[in-house]
Amino acid sequence: MTNAQVYYATNLLVYAGVDIIACLALNLQFGLSGIVNFSFIVFQAVGAYTAAVLSMPPDSANGAFQTYVGGLQLPFPIPWIGGAIAGGLLAIPVGLVVLRRLRPDYQAIALLVLSVIANTVITNAVPLLNGAAGIALVPPPLSDQFDPNTINYQYFFVGLTAIGVVLAALVASRIVNSPYGRSLRAMREHEIAATAIGKNPVQLKMTVFIVGGLIAGLSGAILVGFIQVWAPSVWLYPETIILFAAIIVGGRGNNIGAILGALLVPVGFEEVTRLLVKLNIGPPGLIPALEWVAIGLLIIGFLWFRPDGVRPEARRVFEGAPIPEDVANAG
Amino acid sequence: MNLFVAAFGFGLVSVSVIAIAAVGFTMQFGITNMINLAYGEVMISSAYVAYYLNRVGISIWVGMVGGALFGAVFSFLLNRIVYAPFQRKGTSYIGMVIVSLAVSLMMANLLLPIVGAFSSSYQNTGGSLVRIGNITLTTNQIAIIGLAVVVMLLIHGLLTYTKLGKAMRATSANPTLARNCGIPTQRVVDVVWLITGALCGLAGVVAALNSDSFAVASGAAFLIPIIAAAVLGGAGQPYGAMIGAVIIGLVTELSAAAWSPNYKEVVAFGILVVVMVLRPQGLLAKRGAMAAAG
Repeated sequence: MTNAQVYYATNLLVYAGVDIIACLALNLQFGLSGIVNFSFIVFQAVGAYTAAVLSMPPDSANGAFQTYVGGLQLPFPIPWIGGAIAGGLLAIPVGLVVLRRLRPDYQAIALLVLSVIANTVITNAVPLLNGAAGIALVPPPLSDQFDPNTINYQYFFVGLTAIGVVLAALVASRIVNSPYGRSLRAMREHEIAATAIGKNPVQLKMTVFIVGGLIAGLSGAILVGFIQVWAPSVWLYPETIILFAAIIVGGRGNNIGAILGALLVPVGFEEVTRLLVKLNIGPPGLIPALEWVAIGLLIIGFLWFRPDGVRPEARRVFEGAPIPEDVANAG
Repeated sequence: MNLFVAAFGFGLVSVSVIAIAAVGFTMQFGITNMINLAYGEVMISSAYVAYYLNRVGISIWVGMVGGALFGAVFSFLLNRIVYAPFQRKGTSYIGMVIVSLAVSLMMANLLLPIVGAFSSSYQNTGGSLVRIGNITLTTNQIAIIGLAVVVMLLIHGLLTYTKLGKAMRATSANPTLARNCGIPTQRVVDVVWLITGALCGLAGVVAALNSDSFAVASGAAFLIPIIAAAVLGGAGQPYGAMIGAVIIGLVTELSAAAWSPNYKEVVAFGILVVVMVLRPQGLLAKRGAMAAAG
């Protein structure tokens, strides 16, 4: 492979890894628990900003061309861990406001509005995180140890991302297959019935909201370490819709479906657009706009024709439990 | 102090814009059970319809009627083609919210190649300045306030004194019972989409007229104070939305004077959060954010 091809391939692998981590987190919230977290991208953004300011030098560096809080220059694993923790911490106040008393459709619009507002605040509060221009020159992990502009570093970063994917997948599969996961599914299917058998829905939702926030924060930390810039324009609310499209296409409630969706929608779609943009069809901006239209069509099409996605969640039947069809036949 | 008196004047204009939009938004939710997140995009599309009418030399006040007509027809078709089939299929409330968000995304990005990424503004004489005490408004802004008052009175008359309005309230309260009493709920819902769509289109043109310039992205920005006003008043309650619009409109403009106009939407959101924590059912609602859907 030529160097360009290696860079292309490693880029693609890192983006795929980040999208898989994000989809696993969103699947825990939306697929498994039925929480329509329309502000998911905000949790990724918080992780990214936190990891950035933890790893960057103080903002007086480089001629002070940008302003931001923090700038602690902490060594490698700490910014990523910090990013994850920031995502989890943000989930606490948001969850307490949104998840306790509101009806599910209200939760969804409240979170959507939060996503728009958070972006407005960061764009306007320039001293905080450099406003619309965003922060640049975020040092990649261990860049003080070895040169990030080498092919080997690209491989190294793919490895780091893979560790993140494995971690997220382990957490997600533990949750999906645990008694706690069963409680979440029970709550998603019938909240009142789950409450009646002693499950506390607020507690269940809060926990999964925080775990999802942690994983989302990690995905942001990984992404910002790779692309080295972060600005409000990369976390507008439609980015969350892409991830929702991924979960709906892949199949809600199962991790394999989430991974499949991440590979089909964010990764697959972006590559196709990149190729289409090169063909120079129509006025500039037409193809990206049509890509969004296609995402919308994908969501509506799947919800209409195949609401369970490419890989539907397996129906779980426990030994000795009567299967509904048998009950119906016997009755 | 003068600053705040002036801001109060602008606040009244904001109240008028939000009221027209929020009443339509909340009636869609109350009567058809649809949180239509594409509302902001229908508004901005209607604003562009009026813009193109305006560009060929038609007065913006006539263009406004065109915008309202577009909003009515488009909303009616949107419900008939997309929302109603999904509702008939038994899609959950959450599913419907996702569908409407997908529609909103598609509309914004279909509009973008048509109208371009640059912001536009209406060709309008702008109107002369009118001074009432310390409040200075353009004749346009006074016309907007007058228009909102007329629309609110019409809505009040419709809901209180007409057979159609009573049928709408019955459908909102209990669709099954309404149908059993012989109310053609299907036709009522169709009419509601036409009326609320017209309000949406009208609000879009008025909002665009009231801002210096508008672009496709304005659609999402329009939606936030509207959602805040509707939730504050109690979702599904037209009178609640009017009260919500008064509070949101005045508070956001006064905060813009006291603090920074960049944070208007943030203030609206702050009010929304306080309402959701303290009184999720809204000011007026009997059944609101807390009740089980449906």
